[in-house]
Amino acid sequence: MSGRNSLSSLAKPFDSRTEWVTFFLLAAFVIIFPILSQMGMISSFQVGVWGKYLCYAVLAMSLNILWGYTGLLCLGQCLFFALGGYAFGMYLMLMIGEDPVYKTALPDFMDFQGYKELPWHWKPFYNPFFAVFAVVAVPGVVAFIFGALAFRSRIKGVYFSILTQALTYAATLLFFRNEFTFGGNNGFTDFKFIFGADIREESTTLALFVASGILLLVVYWGLAWLLKTKFGKVQRAIRDSENRVRFSGYSSTHYKVFIFVLSAIIAGLAGALYVPQAGIINPEEMKPSKGLDIVVWVAVGGRGTKFGPVIGAILISLLKSWSTRAFPEYWLIILGLVFVFVVLFMPDGIVGLFEKAKAYLRARKGGESDSGSSNIPVEAK
Amino acid sequence: MDQRLSKLSTRALLIQVILSTGESQTAAIDVIRERGEPIISEVVEAWRIGRISTLGEGEEVQVLIQVSEGQYEDLLTGSALTPSGEPKINRATRSLRKVLKRIVDLLDLKSPDMSKRIAAAEKLGLSQNEEYLPELRELVPKQSDKKVKAAFQEAVWISELKNGRIDEKISAVTSLGEVKSYPARDFIEALLKESREAKVERLDELEAVAEIALKKIDDHQKLVEVASTLVRGLSTGSVLLLVSYGLAITFGQMGVINMAHGEFIAIGGYTTYVVQNFFVGVFGVESAGFGWYFIAALPAAFVVSALCGAILEKGLIQFLYKRPLESLLATWGVSMVLQQVFRLWFGAANVAVASPEWLSGSYELAGISLSYNRISLIVFALIVVLVTWLLLAKTNWGLHVRATMQNRQMSSCLGVPSSRVNMLTFAFGSGLAGLAGAFLSQIGNVGPSMGQTYIVDSFMVVVVGGVGNLLGAALSSMGIGMLDQGLQPVLGPVMGKITVLFGIILFLQFKPGGLFAARSRSLDD
Repeated sequence: MSGRNSLSSLAKPFDSRTEWVTFFLLAAFVIIFPILSQMGMISSFQVGVWGKYLCYAVLAMSLNILWGYTGLLCLGQCLFFALGGYAFGMYLMLMIGEDPVYKTALPDFMDFQGYKELPWHWKPFYNPFFAVFAVVAVPGVVAFIFGALAFRSRIKGVYFSILTQALTYAATLLFFRNEFTFGGNNGFTDFKFIFGADIREESTTLALFVASGILLLVVYWGLAWLLKTKFGKVQRAIRDSENRVRFSGYSSTHYKVFIFVLSAIIAGLAGALYVPQAGIINPEEMKPSKGLDIVVWVAVGGRGTKFGPVIGAILISLLKSWSTRAFPEYWLIILGLVFVFVVLFMPDGIVGLFEKAKAYLRARKGGESDSGSSNIPVEAK
Repeated sequence: MDQRLSKLSTRALLIQVILSTGESQTAAIDVIRERGEPIISEVVEAWRIGRISTLGEGEEVQVLIQVSEGQYEDLLTGSALTPSGEPKINRATRSLRKVLKRIVDLLDLKSPDMSKRIAAAEKLGLSQNEEYLPELRELVPKQSDKKVKAAFQEAVWISELKNGRIDEKISAVTSLGEVKSYPARDFIEALLKESREAKVERLDELEAVAEIALKKIDDHQKLVEVASTLVRGLSTGSVLLLVSYGLAITFGQMGVINMAHGEFIAIGGYTTYVVQNFFVGVFGVESAGFGWYFIAALPAAFVVSALCGAILEKGLIQFLYKRPLESLLATWGVSMVLQQVFRLWFGAANVAVASPEWLSGSYELAGISLSYNRISLIVFALIVVLVTWLLLAKTNWGLHVRATMQNRQMSSCLGVPSSRVNMLTFAFGSGLAGLAGAFLSQIGNVGPSMGQTYIVDSFMVVVVGGVGNLLGAALSSMGIGMLDQGLQPVLGPVMGKITVLFGIILFLQFKPGGLFAARSRSLDD
C-alpha cells in the first residue's frame, strides 16, 4: 500500500457499513448526552460518571491495540493511565493555591510532611502546557525504556505480561512512599481549579465530558486508520506469526516499541482526563489488580475488534456500579463469574457474539457459507 | 541458719516477716533471701503500697493481701476470701523496706527459672551498680549450668569495668574481649575515655588490651550480622520457595497462568484456622493436645487446597490449555470470587492463628537468634523440594507428568491418561500452595487478601528461575530472598523490595529465559 493510499484511508478508516454506523452512534452519544444534560434531563452527576466511563473506554482501546492487534498482553496498562493522571494531577494540585490551614502555596501533603519549598521537579507544573506535555511524555518515556529493553531481548508472551505486572507493582510500592513527593497513599485530591475554571462547576464537568468524548472519537478514528495502513498490517502479522514477520525483513522490535509507546501515551491521556473528573488520584489506581481489570474489559467486549473495548469498559463499569449498590456483598462474586463465563463461552466477547449471530442469520437467509471478514484472531497467543 | 525456718514455705516465712519483729524477723528474712520466688516481690510491693492487712488477734491472726477494692486473698494459702471483720492495714518500717527492696532486686538472680536468672544477671551487670558486685561475684561459682555461669561471669566483668581496681579492669577488658561480649562494647569505650581523662596509672596497658578487645568484639559482631542476614535471607527465601513451588508446577510445568494461586495459599491458611478452632473445641486451649493442631493442619491444608485445585482444573482449566493467556483471565475471576467467599465466610478482618508452643521461642547460636518457626520453615522448604523431586523423578506418576507436560497429544497417544495426569498435577501444585498457606499462618496474617501479597512475588520467582525448571525456582527463591534481606538493612524494607523488583526486570533483559532457560529447537518456545 503506497503512502498516498495510507493518507486517503485517513478519511475513510472504516471498512463496512456496520463499522461506520457504530462510529456514528458513538459520536451521536458524545454529542447528545451533553445536550440532554443542558436540557436538564440528565443530572450533572451522571455526566461526570459517564465522562469517567469514556476515559475507561479510551484506556481499554489503548490496551486493545497492544493485546488485540499485536498480541502483547500488558498487565501494567494501569501504570501509564496513573502516570498520566499523576502528571496532570500535579498541575491541579498547584492550582489549589494557598490553603486555609497551612497558609502556604504548597500542596497540603507537603506542608504536612514539613516541606518548606516546592521540589524542583514540581516547579514546571505551574505551566498548564508543560503539564499536558508531561502527560504525554512521562508514560511515553517509561514505556519506551521498558519496551525497548524488553523487546530487544525478545521477551514475549506470558513473560512480557508478568514483567509488566511486576513493573506496575514496583511503581505502586514506590508511589506509596511519602518520600517520593507524590503524596504517598493519599495521593492527590481536593482539586479546585482547572485552566482557571472552577472544577466543581457544572459547565466544567460538561467540558470535561466533551473533552473525553472527543478524545475517544479521535483515538477510535486514529486507531482504525492505523489498522488500515501498512503499519497496521505488520502489527497484526506480528500478532499472528512474529517469526515470519522477522524473516520477511521487518524489525518487529521497532514496531512493537512504537505500539507500546503509542498505547502508553493514549492511556496517559485517558488518565489525565480521568483525574479531574474523579477528583482523586492515588497509588490504588496502578495496583496490579487494576491492570487486570482493564484486560477484563477488553476481553468481555471482544479483543481485536474496534468497538469491543469501548463496550466492554462501559458495560463492566456499569455492572460494577450497579452491583456494588444492589449487592454490596456479592458484586465481586458476580464480576468474577462474569469473567469465567466470558472466557469459557464467549472467547470473542460481546462483539464476537454479535458477529456470530449475524453470520448465523446470513447463513440461514442465503444458505451460503460466508464466515465474514471479522478481525477476530483465529488463535492468538 | 535456723533449721526449722528453712523448712517453712515461702508464704509462711513472709507471714513471719510481716507479723514478727526483731530477731525472728531477721531470721526469716535471711531464709527468704535465698529463695527466688516471685511471690516475694508481689508481697513486698503490696506491703509498700499498703495492701497488706491483718485480721484477728494473737494465734488466730490471718494475713491478707488486698487484690482489688474489697477483694482479699489469704497470704498463707493464696485462696480468695471475704474477711469476716475489718482488716487492719499493716505497714513495714522504713529500714525494713530498704532491706526488702534489696532482696527483691536480687530476687531473680536466685530464680529457679534459668532464663530469668540470666536476664537478671545481665540487667544488674549492665547497671554497673557497685552494690550488687559482691553478690554477683559470690554467685558465679554457685551456678551449675554453663550458660548461666557465663552470663553471671560476664555481668561481673562488666560491673568491674566501672567498679573494679585497675588490674581488675584490665583483666575484665581482656576477658570480655575473649568472650566477644557485644553489650560490653560501649562500656569498654566509656572506660577508655574516662581513664584517658583521669590519666590513671597503667593507661598504656589498658589502652592496648581495650583495643584488642574492641577489635575482637567488632569482628565477631560483623560476622554475626552477616550470618544473621544469611539466616534471614534463607528464611525469606524459604517463604518464597513455599509460595512459588506450587506455581512452578502449575505455571512452570503445565503452562497455566493461575492467578488464583494466591487464593489457594489463603485456603491453606484458613484450613489451619479451622483445624485450630476444632482442636480448641475438642481439647481446650490449655491442653497438650492443642499444641499438636499444627501437625494435623498441614495434611488438612494440603488436601483441602488440592481438592479445590482438582475442582478448578476439571471445571475450568482443562478447557483452556491451548489458550494460556485466557487461563489468566478466568483464574483472575476465580480469585475474585474466592476472596469474596473468604470475606463472607470468615469476615473481612484477619483471623487469629496461634502458634503452638513448640514453634514459638527461639534458639541462640553464637549470638545469632534463630526462631523455631523460621528454622522449621527452612527445613520444611527443603522437604518440599525433596519430596517433589522424588515424586517427579522416581515415580511412575512423575514420568507421566513430565511426559504430559512436554507434549500433551503425544503422551496421550502413547497411552498416558493425560486428562487425569493434568488434574492430579494441578491438584498437587495447589496442594503445595495450601501447605505454604498453613506455614504462612505461623509467621504472617491469615486474611481474605493474603494471597494477593504473594502472587507477584511467586510469578517473579518462577520466571527468574526459568519456567518449567523446579530447581531453578528453588534457587531463584533463595537468591531473591538473600538479595531482599541483604538490601533491607541498607535501603529499608520497601525500597529494598522495589530495588529487587527492578533488579529482576533488568536481570530478565539479559537472561530472558531465566536462570535455567528451557532449551528447545522450536522457534516459538
